[in-house]
Amino acid sequence: MNEKVTANNLTFYYGENPAIRDISLPVYANTVLALIGPSGCGKSTFLRCINRMNDIIPHTRAEGDIILDGESIFGPRFDVTGLRRRVGMVFQKSNPFPKSIFENIAYGLRINGIRDRYDIEKRVETSLKNTALWDEVRDRLNESALRLSGGQQQRLCIARTIAIEPEVILMDEPASALDPISTQKIEELIQDLKKTYTIIIVTHNMQQAARVSDFTAFFYMGRLIEINRTDVIFTKPENVMTENYITGKFG
Amino acid sequence: MPTHLEQELENAKIRIFQMADLAIEAIRRSVESYKRGDVGLADEVIQSDNRLDELEILIDDECIRILVTRQPAAADLRLVLAMLKTNTDLERIGDFASNIARETIRLNGKAPLKPLVDIPIMAQYCIEMIKDSFLAISERDAERARRVIERDREIDALNVQVYRELISYMLENPATISQALGLIMVSKALERIGDHATNIAERAIYYIGGEDVRHSKQ
Repeated sequence: MNEKVTANNLTFYYGENPAIRDISLPVYANTVLALIGPSGCGKSTFLRCINRMNDIIPHTRAEGDIILDGESIFGPRFDVTGLRRRVGMVFQKSNPFPKSIFENIAYGLRINGIRDRYDIEKRVETSLKNTALWDEVRDRLNESALRLSGGQQQRLCIARTIAIEPEVILMDEPASALDPISTQKIEELIQDLKKTYTIIIVTHNMQQAARVSDFTAFFYMGRLIEINRTDVIFTKPENVMTENYITGKFG
Repeated sequence: MPTHLEQELENAKIRIFQMADLAIEAIRRSVESYKRGDVGLADEVIQSDNRLDELEILIDDECIRILVTRQPAAADLRLVLAMLKTNTDLERIGDFASNIARETIRLNGKAPLKPLVDIPIMAQYCIEMIKDSFLAISERDAERARRVIERDREIDALNVQVYRELISYMLENPATISQALGLIMVSKALERIGDHATNIAERAIYYIGGEDVRHSKQ
C-alpha cells in the first residue's frame, strides 16, 4: 500500500507543553484512518498538524516531520496554501457560508482560480452528487445554505471540500452533532469518498470508528499507543490500554 | 462495581457453564445406561436433553442482546462470539448423548455385545476435554486448552480400534451384526463428542488470546 501521509516522530508544543509526543504513523492512500482516544489525548492536534492549521495559533511549534507524497510539509519552501488545497478539512460543527447553496461551493472554486461559469456549474453539480445532496437541493440551489438541515449543511461542507479536488480529507468529529440518519449518510459518504481520497477522521464514537475506518490509531495523553487494522484493534488489540479503552474499562 | 456489560457477560457465562455441567452428566449417564442396560436411566438422559436445548436458545438470546445493546469489543466481543459457538457444540454433545441412550433403549435390557473396555475410556476422555476447556476459560489459560486439542487424537484412535475389533466380530459371526453396529454407533457418537470438545477448546483459545487455531492441527 502506498503511504500518502507519514508522521515521523512528530511532537507538537503549545507554548512549552507538548500536546502530542513522538508520533510516527503511516496513512495509506485511499483508506480511512480513525483517530480515537479520550478528550485531550491529542488526536485533534495531530489532525490539525496535517494541513498546518495549528500554524495560526501563536506560540506553537512542531518537531519531527509530516511527509505528504514524499515531501515534508514543514519544508522551508513548502506551499502552505497549496497544502490546504490538497488537504481539506471538515469540522465538527457545519459552517456553511451565509450564501446560497451554489455559492458555498462556487466560492472556493473561484478563489482557486476557476473562472469558467460552465466549469463551475459542472463542479458544483458533481460535488453535490458525490455527497448525495444533489437530489435534495437541485431545485433550490439559490436558496441560503443556512436553510438546510444540520445533516445537509454538513454534507454541503463536505461537497465544498471535495469540489476543489483535494487529495486528503481531514474530518474532526464530522457527525457528532447530527441525528442518526444524517450520521449514517455521512458514514456512507466516507466509505464512498475513500475510493478517490485519503481520509483521516477523529471520532469519539468507537462504533463509528469500527464502521467507517480501515485503520484505527489509539491516542492517550499525547502519545500513540497502538495503530493497526480496525478489525484487529476491535477484536484483539495488542496493548492493554487500547483494550481497556475500547471495552469501556478506562479510568 | 461491575459495569452492566460485565454483569451481563457474567450471567451468560454462568449459563454456559451450567450447560457444560449438563452435557458432561449426559455423556456420563448415557454411557452408564448403555453399560448397565439401564433403560430408565437412558430415558432420563433423553428427557434432560430438553434442558440443554432450552439453554442453547437462552444463551443465544442473551449473546444477541449483548451484541445489539452493548456493542462489546476486544476480549468482551471474543467471549460473546465464543459463547455463541460453544453453545451449539454443547447442544450437539447433548444430542449425541441422547443417541447413545437410544441405543440402550433399543437393546432393551440386553447386555452389550461384549464387555465395554474402550467405550468408558472414550467417555472419560470426552468429559475431561470438556472440563479442561471450561477450566481454560475460567483461568484464561490457553495452554490448557491447547492440550485438550491434542487429546482428541487419542479418542480418534480408540474409535478406530473399536471399529476394527467389531468388524472382526461381524465377520466371524453375522448374527452379531445388529449389536455390533449399535456399538459402532456409540463409539462414533463419542468420537463426534470429542470433536465438539475440540471445537470448544479452540473457541477458548480464541477468547483468551484472539488466536484462531481452527484447522491448524496436523
